Amino acid sequence: MNLSARMIAVLTSVGLLSGGFLSTVGLLTKERIALNKQKEIEEAILAVVPGTESSQKLYEEKDLSIYGGKDEDGNLLGFAIHASGVGFQDKITLMFGTNASLTRITNLTILDQKETPGLGAKITDRESFLKYWENKDCSQPLSLRKPPAISPEDLSSSEVNTITGATISSESVLNTVNLSLERLKRLKTEGKFAIEERNAN
Amino acid sequence: MPTKSIGEEFLKGFWKENPIFRQLLGMCPTLAVTNAMINGLAMGLATAFVLIFSSLVVSSIKKLIPSQVRIATYIVIIATFVTIADRFLAAFFPPISKNLGPYVPLIVVNCIILGRQEAFSSKNTVGRSLIDAFGMSLGFILGLLILSAIREILGFGTFFGFQVMGQWFKPWIIMILPPGAFITLGILLALALQIERKTKARR
Amino acid sequence: MEIIALFFSAILINNFVLHYFLGICPFLGVSKKIDSALSMGLAVTFVMSITAAVSWAINHWILIPYQLDYLQIVSFILVIASLVQLVEMFIRKISPPLYQALGIYLPLITTNCAIFFLALMAALKNYNFIETVIFGIGSGLGFTLAIILMAGIREQLDLADVPEALKGAGISLIVAGIMALAFLGFSGMIK
Repeated sequence: MNLSARMIAVLTSVGLLSGGFLSTVGLLTKERIALNKQKEIEEAILAVVPGTESSQKLYEEKDLSIYGGKDEDGNLLGFAIHASGVGFQDKITLMFGTNASLTRITNLTILDQKETPGLGAKITDRESFLKYWENKDCSQPLSLRKPPAISPEDLSSSEVNTITGATISSESVLNTVNLSLERLKRLKTEGKFAIEERNAN
Repeated sequence: MPTKSIGEEFLKGFWKENPIFRQLLGMCPTLAVTNAMINGLAMGLATAFVLIFSSLVVSSIKKLIPSQVRIATYIVIIATFVTIADRFLAAFFPPISKNLGPYVPLIVVNCIILGRQEAFSSKNTVGRSLIDAFGMSLGFILGLLILSAIREILGFGTFFGFQVMGQWFKPWIIMILPPGAFITLGILLALALQIERKTKARR
Repeated sequence: MEIIALFFSAILINNFVLHYFLGICPFLGVSKKIDSALSMGLAVTFVMSITAAVSWAINHWILIPYQLDYLQIVSFILVIASLVQLVEMFIRKISPPLYQALGIYLPLITTNCAIFFLALMAALKNYNFIETVIFGIGSGLGFTLAIILMAGIREQLDLADVPEALKGAGISLIVAGIMALAFLGFSGMIK
């Protein structure tokens, strides 16, 4: 065999072998990877809309997905909003839950962030940040308390706490929540979810 | 070439030809994933997997590969094993996969792996190549562990996630941030060079 | 607006060298003189912009429609390697002076992890075509900025009395660390 034929033969066979091998690996792991992703979302929904038995994606656009959490009878318990916005270093991806009438934020959880460890990264910490988001009145946009209050009782019902030394991270979480809430309310009045709720009832 | 004993071939990766401290190879993952020991270990193991299997394949088929296309062939082989490692981590260890993020695929361009194929596996027997790959991998893991231990202890006050520093200790956050990586590695490299110089002078 | 933010964050905040630790080899290797650092930086920026466009096309026209995502790593690395070769041949034909300036740096770029990371990151973050290209150009310029600053410092460092063991890579890494520290100041600039 001459050289160029051998070159082509070797490269093609290596390419084919690796392609075949990888497609097997791809097939074997695909389901599991998809399952992991789904599980992460489902766990987050359960955390922010307590009591959820089944959930359904109601709406999706760039940086915003809305899920409806339902109890075992299919009644809508609330919405889980999966959103991201620019933080201090990079995007912050979070999920928060509201009640079905969109007047209360039940809970908040951070799914992905690259904030400064020890400062901005405290947004993932329940004690120093997330607990101040539980059960907040969101009929009006929320506001930030600065300097931070010491205990949740000191805050008014539509105020959340700032992390000392990480105002930008706290603000960016607040902005993401407020913006996506506003968007959700508009979508709801436009009647985008009307069918879903009828089905639920 | 086979002048070294098997033991020497294995041990050279730890010090004399340590990929991180002596050869300055694989700097990107070394700096990027060493903010916590668990990440450093996972990265080291993934790299070891790719290096060992690539060396095995390359040294077994080395006679079939025409030298003009050897680099392309090596890259395809390496990329195949990297994809396997990446998918495996994503499927079975999602949190680690999330922490390491795009640095797992980056193993493809880790110069240690291509370098060992070009410098060693393409010229040596399967057995020797495997020993070389194991030694280099362990040397690399060791380097990652040293660096990540320093950064984790000073930056979080923990060792593999366990609290080792007392309450009095205020973590040096800078150590887990990029500057801490550069400065710690710089100092470690100087230390390695100094030890090498001292032992040479004594001989 | 978001595009501008993406562009500047790629240069200053998520700088490829000082934040993602990419392209450390050329960063340490080709940063002895400012003019060679500049050529290297421009070569990288050039290849990055093209890679961004091509990898986007491959990802969105081939890998995603045919569900070949497991071939992403293999195809990206092969595309980058052949792209660098093509760019090299192309520049040699079209503009010999440019080839003279960038020539020797081009082969080095194939093994530069920054290019590969760029393709991966753009795919991971789901950027659209324009965002991907802007991200590519911004990241390239960020690399150029870092390597030129480094070269400027190292030209001065030659005259300084550095301890024997720290010479070379040691002191360069420590300088890079201090630069990274300075660049941390840009975080949070973009809201």
